[in-house]
Amino acid sequence: MSIVIFYPYIFVMMSFKLSRYWLFQLIGWGLFALINIFFALAFNRFDAPVLLRIIFYIEVGIIFSHLMREFIHRKAILLKKLGQQIISFFILTIIFSFLVACVVSPYEEIYDLRFDMTGKKLSYFSLLFTNFISFFPLLLFWNAFYFMYHFIMKSRKHELDTIKLEALVRELELKTIKAHINPHFIFNALNGIRAMIDENPARARKAVTELSNILRSSLTLEKVETVTLEDELKIVKDYLALESMRFEKRLTVEFEIDIKTLSQQVPPMMLQILVENAIKHGISKQTKGGIVKIISDYNRSNHEIIVQNTGSLNGNKIDTGFGVSSTRDRLNLLYGDKAQFEVKQIEPALVEAKVVIPVTGN
Amino acid sequence: MKAIIIDDERLARTELRKLLQDFPEIEVVDEASNADEAIQKIESHGPDLIFLDIQMPGRTGFEMLAELDQAPKVVFTTAYDEYALKAFEVNALDYLLKPVEPKRLADAVEKLRKANNNKNEERSSPVQNTHNLLSESDQVFVKDGERCWFVRLGEVRLFESVGNYAKVFFGSNKPLILKSLNALEERLDDKVFFRANRKHIVNLRMIEKVEPYFNGGLLLELKGGDKVEVSRRQTVKFKEMMSL
Repeated sequence: MSIVIFYPYIFVMMSFKLSRYWLFQLIGWGLFALINIFFALAFNRFDAPVLLRIIFYIEVGIIFSHLMREFIHRKAILLKKLGQQIISFFILTIIFSFLVACVVSPYEEIYDLRFDMTGKKLSYFSLLFTNFISFFPLLLFWNAFYFMYHFIMKSRKHELDTIKLEALVRELELKTIKAHINPHFIFNALNGIRAMIDENPARARKAVTELSNILRSSLTLEKVETVTLEDELKIVKDYLALESMRFEKRLTVEFEIDIKTLSQQVPPMMLQILVENAIKHGISKQTKGGIVKIISDYNRSNHEIIVQNTGSLNGNKIDTGFGVSSTRDRLNLLYGDKAQFEVKQIEPALVEAKVVIPVTGN
Repeated sequence: MKAIIIDDERLARTELRKLLQDFPEIEVVDEASNADEAIQKIESHGPDLIFLDIQMPGRTGFEMLAELDQAPKVVFTTAYDEYALKAFEVNALDYLLKPVEPKRLADAVEKLRKANNNKNEERSSPVQNTHNLLSESDQVFVKDGERCWFVRLGEVRLFESVGNYAKVFFGSNKPLILKSLNALEERLDDKVFFRANRKHIVNLRMIEKVEPYFNGGLLLELKGGDKVEVSRRQTVKFKEMMSL
């Protein structure tokens, strides 16, 4: 019997550190022991055998509740749906109470410990049943406590994650608005317009309208979640008109738009950022300039938006640019993992940025 | 002052030309739209001044300047570039923001005018020609990591060769330039800059002490403490020059 007393201590030592779980176990079962001792004292039935028996029950309780916990983790019961968790816990309690009863009853039988109120010795079956009834509430309470502890911990984490996500969304929105007003583009455009005023007044007037459209689109960026591809293309065309004014023969633009995709919903200013990147990293770096090609089509049940440009990635870190990271974040927020975004070198002098989003409507 | 405008955007060049019409002392002799064109035109016209857009395809403005044997006065232009602006501020370089404000341009021109007058006073003959040897009032563009300078040759004490590069000693700095000592020797005025040995060119005006040394050579001590040996062969030339 003394060997049995040592088992829990071996378990504790095997855990290496006194984790919160073991702290709760020792306190919980310790308290249970103290309550039993108290009642034994109160009824004047406290003596050495009684104490040893209490300790034995504690050991059994700790061992079997620990086994139950191992089982819970093996079968990942805590990750199941709420309803399934509750049912599982009940079934577990029943099974383990029965197992405990099977262990405790022979012990009591051997040591002649079970007598009913009248002093008559109980049958083995009654013994088994009595022990089952005694341990069932104990283990049920244990499970309820274990279950509630994890439930509370999870809700708290969920709350924290939601708050963090909301803060991130707000931060992104702000960043998008602020950084989207691209000063380099704007000042270059204004300088070009000023030069145009004498050279070609009509073109200069048109350019002022184009610039005004782009600024307006940047400012109202956060008010809508999506716009039609048709509206987005209007802004992109204004933007490209201004850049053509600057680059002249160095910029050639091609469009390959499937008319049926014009009514699709897309995130606002996303295509514009990709085109801006194509010009910033591609065209403006080439002495002879190059081509920017914009493609929109259906691919199975997805909408593909592609921007190709002359140039090369040169092993540059594309993921750290604001355009790329904001596009990735926006797609993630809107479509989760149903959207894809990739920038890669498809030919030695051709870079492609491809966005794939689920088809809306239809 | 002869000037060249360097910018990859035609409209930006037109715009600046228009603004410079208000300053008759500045004559725009040519334009360039990239670094290669710029180097070629600077070497053929020999301008006093260039307006240089910092964002150009291919090589950046800084890289182009480092390639020139001699750098003219430079006014940088940019629409908006945080990194370039920081570089300009840190290195006290003249720059203009596009679209250029006429008042700012006037201030820059005034500054150039004053510097040009000082330069003309230093020279004995005001006529310039890039094929002349570089003298002390000429400047060269030197970049070392984040720092860059327009160094007046008169301030350089010593050139030391390091592989394909030359270390330029001026003030408390020793940046590297991608020029061989032989190339430098060809362009520098040999009345001021003397090839002491295979690895060193010395500014004669910076010599404080001359002592005899091994093998019929000399040891020169320069302002700032650097000591340079003169090879035996060059010692002969040195003595001739100094008429010793």
